[in-house]
Amino acid sequence: MEPNRKTSLVLAALTAGFAVLAYAFAQVPAVPAAPARPPLVPVDTLAGVIPPGTIRISAAQLASSGGDTSGLNCYACHHQDSPPLIKFDDQHRIVLPKEHADLIFSMRNCVECHAANDPVKLEYKDDGSLVMPAAHQGLLKMAHGRNLRNENCYNCHDPNQLDQLHTPEGAKLKFDQATLLCAGCHGPTYRDWEAGVHGRTSGHWDRSAGPIERQQCTSCHDPHAPAFTSLIAMPGPHLRVRTP
Amino acid sequence: MDDPISSPGLTRRSFLRASTVLAASAAAVTASLAPLRKLGQFTTSDEFLQKYYKEMTPEEMKVVLARIENEVEHQYGVRPHLRDFKPMNGVEFVYALNLSRCVGSRQCVHACVAENNQSRNPEIQYIRVLKMPNDGTFDLEKSEVSYDSKAVPEAGSFYLPVQCHQCRNPPCVKVCPVKATWQEADGITVVDYNWCIGCRYCEAACPYFARRFNWSTPSIPKEQINPNMSYLGNRPRYKGVMEKCHFCIQRTRAGRYPACVEVCPTGSRKFGNILDPNSEVSYILKNKRVLILKEELGTLPRFFYYFDV
Repeated sequence: MEPNRKTSLVLAALTAGFAVLAYAFAQVPAVPAAPARPPLVPVDTLAGVIPPGTIRISAAQLASSGGDTSGLNCYACHHQDSPPLIKFDDQHRIVLPKEHADLIFSMRNCVECHAANDPVKLEYKDDGSLVMPAAHQGLLKMAHGRNLRNENCYNCHDPNQLDQLHTPEGAKLKFDQATLLCAGCHGPTYRDWEAGVHGRTSGHWDRSAGPIERQQCTSCHDPHAPAFTSLIAMPGPHLRVRTP
Repeated sequence: MDDPISSPGLTRRSFLRASTVLAASAAAVTASLAPLRKLGQFTTSDEFLQKYYKEMTPEEMKVVLARIENEVEHQYGVRPHLRDFKPMNGVEFVYALNLSRCVGSRQCVHACVAENNQSRNPEIQYIRVLKMPNDGTFDLEKSEVSYDSKAVPEAGSFYLPVQCHQCRNPPCVKVCPVKATWQEADGITVVDYNWCIGCRYCEAACPYFARRFNWSTPSIPKEQINPNMSYLGNRPRYKGVMEKCHFCIQRTRAGRYPACVEVCPTGSRKFGNILDPNSEVSYILKNKRVLILKEELGTLPRFFYYFDV
């Protein structure tokens, strides 16, 4: 009977052990309550990733971001006597035509004050720098390059026809051809831009798979003050792993 | 004494006692193992028996893709479009980053996280933007990764974003004991998340700190899942596997730019096919001053830094 008794004892001990284990598991919740894991980067911050961190906004970007286009004056460039057909959406906002995809709209339209063919006489200080007209104070910052000779409206604007641009050689250019005007002085940068190396590129690296999207000079640079202002940085990494 | 009748081996009493003990212990074992049922995600037999990526036929791959689509939908509540993109003929990808233009805005970091379904918490990011002191040093020990600037760029600094360099001589591939990571024909070093055993040798071998380990199950909010997924790329990872930048396989093998290139506000990031003499990267390698990081290690990166101005 001795071995039988030993077996019974072992079995009883095992049973007791498993019973204790079962009790212990019953006490601890099987699935520990998952600690709340808030996303480390708020969704709102991420929404800011997609639009470019540029200073100026093209018509296409303005329209696609749902911006207010009601203040745009098409007659800043188009002649009033041969008006273009302007379409409005159901909220009475201007529907921007495709041709304006790369066209930049400034905060103000020059023709609000200037007649297109009324040249303005520029005044200079003794040191040769331009006197910023009082009406432009706060609207326009003139900071194109480091040389005073660049601070001249009529380097780029046509004094006789304010709604167009002109090159030093006298060629007339429309506002949406500004890139060609920039190229006149910024040759190496224009060469890089043509190769797709200066400025943003988006779309397709494989031209057979789809188009490449390019930006014009004035899409990113304010022609009156082309240097980039600083940007707000996105949040940095959380170096410590947060564990429950 | 040996008479079986006077001393039976099995009496009614001993039978009842033994069977009661047996039943009780069986019940106790079952009860003590019960919490295992609530552990959830067990490896299915299909997953366990899945073949090595390079040995799968297209038909077997189709079955695996369908299975993983179901798994992802079950786990994240979003039906993904999972594909297996193959390298394109005559294409070798090269990346170029303009150190003169980068302002350290970190937009690339977060665009990458959003595109590639990286875990939000614990946080996994492929790109590290290093802020370097502009005092003549290129010592990475002097860099700062968690800079918290109100506005960038900060005076007296330049910015050096680092991510996987897709080396032509990749140390991470050499050390993998199970060949779960390898270099593809277009130059992208990939990881098969179903084959990785999580030993982290590759993480230790990488001189660019480009590999990330999933210490716990990735957590991604449902509304932030990118459903355009690739098998070797941005499908959700498992707990205990390595991951790394894969040049956005799901975009670049479809002819598009990677997310970090698209989002860069200063156009510092350039990407393309180095075998195409008219590509942006060919122009940069021909015309710009180019450098690679840790050249002395002989890793031969496909990721180049360059200067203009």
